[in-house]
Amino acid sequence: MNANWIHLLAGCALVTSLSAQQSLESDYRTTGAAVTAVFESQRAVLQTSSALMLDGRKEAGYGVIISPQGHILTKASEFLEWKKPSVTVDRTNYPSVRLLAVDSEWDVALVKIEAEGLVPVAYAPDSSVPQGTWVAANGASTRTNRRLLAGIVSAKTREILASGGAVLGVVLNAKTKTLEIDQVNEKSGAKDAGLRKGDLILTIAGKAVAKIEDVVEALKDHKAGSFVKLTFRRGTEELSADVRLTARSELFTDQMNRNDQMSGDFSKRRSGFPRALQHDILSNSKTVGGPLLDLDGRCLGMNIARANRAESFAIPVEDLKALAEKLMKQAAK
Amino acid sequence: MTIFRLTCLLLALLPWCAHAADGRLFVNDKKAPENRKDLEAIQAALVKALPQVRAATVCIEIGEGSGSGVIVSADGLILTAAHVSGGVKKAVTVILEDGTRLKAETLGLVSDTDAAMMRITEKGTYPFVEIDRTNSTRLGDWVFALGHAGGFDKARGSVVRLGRLVRIANSTYQSDCILIGGDSGGPLFDLSGKLVGIHSRVGQQVQSNMHVPMSEFVKNWDNLVKGEFVGEGPFAQKAAKGTGFLGLATESRPEGGLRVTKIGKDSPALQAGVQEGDVLLKLNGTALAKRAQLQDLLKEMAAGDEITLDLERNGKPQTLTFNLSER
Repeated sequence: MNANWIHLLAGCALVTSLSAQQSLESDYRTTGAAVTAVFESQRAVLQTSSALMLDGRKEAGYGVIISPQGHILTKASEFLEWKKPSVTVDRTNYPSVRLLAVDSEWDVALVKIEAEGLVPVAYAPDSSVPQGTWVAANGASTRTNRRLLAGIVSAKTREILASGGAVLGVVLNAKTKTLEIDQVNEKSGAKDAGLRKGDLILTIAGKAVAKIEDVVEALKDHKAGSFVKLTFRRGTEELSADVRLTARSELFTDQMNRNDQMSGDFSKRRSGFPRALQHDILSNSKTVGGPLLDLDGRCLGMNIARANRAESFAIPVEDLKALAEKLMKQAAK
Repeated sequence: MTIFRLTCLLLALLPWCAHAADGRLFVNDKKAPENRKDLEAIQAALVKALPQVRAATVCIEIGEGSGSGVIVSADGLILTAAHVSGGVKKAVTVILEDGTRLKAETLGLVSDTDAAMMRITEKGTYPFVEIDRTNSTRLGDWVFALGHAGGFDKARGSVVRLGRLVRIANSTYQSDCILIGGDSGGPLFDLSGKLVGIHSRVGQQVQSNMHVPMSEFVKNWDNLVKGEFVGEGPFAQKAAKGTGFLGLATESRPEGGLRVTKIGKDSPALQAGVQEGDVLLKLNGTALAKRAQLQDLLKEMAAGDEITLDLERNGKPQTLTFNLSER
């Protein structure tokens, strides 16, 4: 995946060369009103069983309604950034949203609104539908109406490895060539776990480490979002911490490649998922988090990332069901 | 023309006839899908077409870059974009969906419309797709794109995207199948799995995705097969003079001709069968007496140019014809 690809040429000079042309009116294009109209029964499902997540007055994301009492699954890394979250279901706004549990490997949060009689999604029996199968999901909403965009299952369902590998989020001292921490990334699990400049890493997941290669080896089979036990020396003390791992590319986002530049808006957390179903619905980072529906209006998965302009990922329904159960149990404790 | 239109109308009026005579899906003749049956017809056609066309869709590795292409004959002719191939008679690697890597070379290209051809040079029988030679695709038709978006990824496979043909111009199709880097040169199909275009470029909006129509390939087919560089750009630039690489060292003989003393690894000379000890007598008909002469002749040539070498091996005359490569 590190290969350079040949760039699609972009530019208006080439576009304007299409002079004497026939053009299809926008209503009849794949995202046009005349085409999405045929998905009205699926749109009705989004109206009642998807949650429009707002941050203040702005559309910030979506959620999957999983209980009549207002339990909702949404994208955790986005939700945690919102300053004033509220939820709209159908036409009702629920101003108070409680965070109940988080799974950082799948990047899913279980939240709850004070509601009754909501219509939870109906799960599809399984996600193993052939590529080319129609799917539908939330497009941008109005205050009262959920809009729908359609697409197809577009690649093999698979694990999405953490882009750049799963890392602690620290920079080690290059001069001493020891495992002494020189910098801690602000958005990293290392920061959350309280690691500081000057700490000397001793063991990772029970393995003694002495040089950078040992760290790479110790983290090799760990997933982004999972936690590893770390022991380290601070002054004369020996301490330990559970550190959440993060995809390297997420922490160091300043290096955008050409495909990122042409993709516009994509999800910040878009790699490191245990399993994902890929589709081609034209989404953006603000339309992620809601249900992915099949033609029967059943929930085939939950949209978890817009990776780039051509690729979007959803958590497959089998995994989503198990995750929902796990998070509900966790919340009940 | 009137009769043709009437025929189309009649076929559209026959609801039990899923496909028109030319394999055209009935949904294509509706302005938009009207019901679930229409959606299912699109889905069924796509699911049916995918396995065969996917097997024929390839990733192309060329230098440091990667693009896409599609095999169109059992012996391994590939169609791709001119800005992917970048020149004629260049060595490239082709990767099939299952990860098999094959050697290939670039053939001709049309630099002003972005059409290009390649050929797998390893003998074999390859999965291939059928070309739409009759220009049968119409505005609004449902089409789908395949390509190795962002480079080859075996666990993912090539990525399929569905859309409609939203604009037709002389040498360009536009669809709303969303393309990205790595898709360049990949195939656009109609719902029967016939190849209708090759991915070329994107506009400023996500929905503006441009493809080279098959008519551009069909029109230039012979030039493409022969390895000719057609047009003046902008999608590919002709190699500059002096870029041609032969890959051998010589010494001049008192009695005339140049004796080959060394042949470069992977050089065109080696691939064409030149051997150490051969005596080069003529390059493109010009007699060779001094080493400087050979160098002067090569300075005027470019990568991809065809040369004819008359030489003597063990006292017997031989003629070799081959192309210079890039240094």
